[in-house]
Amino acid sequence: MSVDPTVTRHTSGGRLLFGTIAALCLAIMYAPVLYLLLASLNPDAQLGLAPPSRYSLKWYLALLTDRRLADALAESTLVGLATAAVATPIGLSAALAYRAMTRLRGLFLLVVLSAMLVPGAIAGLGLSAVLRVLGLTPSWFTVTIGHLLWTLPFAAIVSLIGLSAVKPSTIAAARDLGAGPVRAFLDITLPLIGANLVSSFIFAFLLSLSEHARAYYLVGRQNTLPLYMFGAMNSGASPTIYAFSGAVIVVSVVVVAVLFAGLARQRSEGRGVSSKAG
Amino acid sequence: MARRRRNGAALGACSQLTRRRFVRNGVLGAAALAVGGMPRAARAADEVNFWATGTLDIGDDGWKTVADESGVKVNFTDNGNDPGPVVAKLVVGNANDIYDTGGLQGGSEKELARRGLIVPWDLSQIPNYATLWPWAKDIPYLTYDGKIYGIPTVINADSIIALRDKAPSVDSYGVIFDPKLKGKTAMEDAWINSVIFAAIYLKNSENAKIAEPGNLTADELGLVMEFLIRHKRNGQFRTFWNGWEQGLQLVANQEVWVMTGWEPIVYAARKRGVDCYYAVPKEGYEAWGNNTVLLKGAVNRGRAQAAHRLVNALLSGFYGCKLGMMRGYVVPTDNNMAYAAAHANACDPTQVRELAEHVKKKFTGKVYWQNTRPDNFQLYETWWQRLRNA
Amino acid sequence: MHARWPTTFLLAVPSLAVLVGLGFVPLALMATWSFWSFDPDTYWIKPVWSLASYAALLEDGRATVFLRTAGLAALTTAVSTLLAVPAATVVGLLSGPRRAALLLALFTIPFFTSGLVRAFAWRLVLGRQGVVNDALISLGIVQAPVEWLLFSDFAVVLGMVAAYLPFAIIPIVLAFARIEQSVIRASQDLGAGFWTMFSTIVLPLVMPGIVAGFLFVFVVALGTSMETQLLGGAGASSISIMINDVLRVVNFPLAFAIATAVVALLIVLITIANRAFRLSRLFESIGI
Repeated sequence: MSVDPTVTRHTSGGRLLFGTIAALCLAIMYAPVLYLLLASLNPDAQLGLAPPSRYSLKWYLALLTDRRLADALAESTLVGLATAAVATPIGLSAALAYRAMTRLRGLFLLVVLSAMLVPGAIAGLGLSAVLRVLGLTPSWFTVTIGHLLWTLPFAAIVSLIGLSAVKPSTIAAARDLGAGPVRAFLDITLPLIGANLVSSFIFAFLLSLSEHARAYYLVGRQNTLPLYMFGAMNSGASPTIYAFSGAVIVVSVVVVAVLFAGLARQRSEGRGVSSKAG
Repeated sequence: MARRRRNGAALGACSQLTRRRFVRNGVLGAAALAVGGMPRAARAADEVNFWATGTLDIGDDGWKTVADESGVKVNFTDNGNDPGPVVAKLVVGNANDIYDTGGLQGGSEKELARRGLIVPWDLSQIPNYATLWPWAKDIPYLTYDGKIYGIPTVINADSIIALRDKAPSVDSYGVIFDPKLKGKTAMEDAWINSVIFAAIYLKNSENAKIAEPGNLTADELGLVMEFLIRHKRNGQFRTFWNGWEQGLQLVANQEVWVMTGWEPIVYAARKRGVDCYYAVPKEGYEAWGNNTVLLKGAVNRGRAQAAHRLVNALLSGFYGCKLGMMRGYVVPTDNNMAYAAAHANACDPTQVRELAEHVKKKFTGKVYWQNTRPDNFQLYETWWQRLRNA
Repeated sequence: MHARWPTTFLLAVPSLAVLVGLGFVPLALMATWSFWSFDPDTYWIKPVWSLASYAALLEDGRATVFLRTAGLAALTTAVSTLLAVPAATVVGLLSGPRRAALLLALFTIPFFTSGLVRAFAWRLVLGRQGVVNDALISLGIVQAPVEWLLFSDFAVVLGMVAAYLPFAIIPIVLAFARIEQSVIRASQDLGAGFWTMFSTIVLPLVMPGIVAGFLFVFVVALGTSMETQLLGGAGASSISIMINDVLRVVNFPLAFAIATAVVALLIVLITIANRAFRLSRLFESIGI
């Protein structure tokens, strides 16, 4: 939702300040990213900026044939999707349980948060010892278990925020109309927190994609992407890893742009239709 | 549990095949290996999961050649080079379920052997062992309880990397601690290397009472660490570096002018247009070896024989040439030169010979051996914490 | 309205199964082993009960590492929150749905790239020959490169803020779902200026998001080692770096003691915050 445009005059100072801060946030976040994008166009082996006349796609082309990076990326994507797919519903159930509790709430919250409090290396090491005793072969599956533990608290809290936006009166109305608790949840609550669940999924996916401390002790023979990156940095990286970051940015921005072009077209068409009808 | 094939049925069948063949061919097999490879038809597609320091990697093409020449397919995984997580993953974690051979800096062999995590090598299956340079074979920590646990794979002697235009004639570790270069020097964030360098300097240039720089007593350690702490407090070090890219970036971007470090960084920096050189310090070098160990898991999975063939292949010449060309690291055997002479189009024989001579020459002077497990190793870590907090 | 306890129990089972079933066993193991002793003969642990590891935590500046890591994490969290609240307000309040979604996407995209590579890039932006110093020198603002831009606490905090801002922004944006258009409109009809509206309506309602963001950034900043290692000064330490140092010398009981101490201290912190700020009430639904 947004502020009514008729009163923008009274908000312009605040909007300016907040807008500046938002721009500052973007600047801080994108400074290294943009640097990488520009530096990856530098055909030299040493990371650094080059004059635009020397720009070349050399490292991006090399990226296409880098099988090890592709394998690590595939492994990380698999682990990330699996982690997010399991963490999101379980996080939601934990949030629902929390809201339904009274006296045990504090303790339950502590249990839910416990997994994010353990330092990553020890969590991974301990879990790998336990999983070993259980006879599980180290693979993407064991990494997913470790990442599930790590991302579950985050998913639960994101779900809590989402659920807190659902007004009790809405649920009450549904119940008055005869819906059982499950029906009320599925038909009323779930659609209302849909966007929140998507955020929870993406959050968990990104957390898993960037996690390396636990993954080190839980991986099988195939490294995840962060471990591959660490290995490359420790033993000599080809600039393809910088081109990879650049490629991710470009692809993401293109996807977002395309989605928005599609949305903009939809809305203008819709407006056209409604204005004709109205 | 013993009958379960952890790596899939197909691989399990492979290793069964290998074991039967080994038992049947026994002596013939060993003799064939000594000559330099089994006839293609008799070679099983053996696989070995090699878990080692990333700088020992020769790329997919390189490993393919090794596979073609030796019949062993190598699946190389970088173990991060940090003995901490590597040992932890072996002791507490699942490394033995995944990998067959490991490569890491020497010193931990004793404890891994004591815990049964690694097993001794059968030298009769490694004919090329005889071609190793004698002093490489004699490194003490490779042997435990009378058996050989580590095969030296890469050996080098480290000193100082210096930018030629900023520090043209470095010949002593004193330059790292020189107040004129305050804020322009760096050391590696690892007591394994940095303490030895400081100790070498103090022993030879400031006549400190230090017996073995690689194995300091508690008092000697205190002396060396107080020295380092003092310099850190004075702002002598721009930073400490961790890993190849960090070290290289410091030199290439002139963030520091001199730093203790690994020799291949000099070669890589030169390729990237940075005029730097590797100093020949009068106090001597720090010598280190990266050694290959045989993990117990390999024996459990029936891959021990393939692992022996792999190690033999690493010493047979191609690997040494390739690694030398890629990094400037030397496998301590003269087989490299023989291989280069026979395959001059793939490896430049002159370059290989010069590299070998260069490394051998370093070892004729003063060298002090690195050891990941000095007697007081836990005390080293305690002092390093104090340095961190200084 | 509270559900009956069987429903509550059923809802709690999945998370408890994962967290307790899979999570607690390693934790209990670590905690137990932290009270055992290092065995120099096997380089492992022997079941001799001892508080030596915990005593070691108070020596050699290890406690300083705890304090410094927590301090830098708290600073990062404070800066991130101060930046995130306005940024999230722009997304959640001051933008139409299209621009909001676009901004949210922009805030998330950098996180798809490798954090290690991003932190490494900061070395090239802040270094002696980096982008910032080059700009400062060419503009004549300084004569020589500014040294403290890199390999300092400044660089570490900047790197962490840049990396973890999305953790602070996204929960607050999600919390804006709690604010209804009608409430904003009503306040404007009543003549409230921007700041009044912001402080009396927006801030209290998005507080769950702010607190969540605070928690996320703090926990992640406390446990990271990347930024400290890449951007910190000579031998800069953090809790994770210290754990790795200790594992390197196979002092497992001490490593487990450090981890147990971290968990215990964080539990205490969260419990105190829970009581002091009544966090349990924070996530209630608003309205009737």
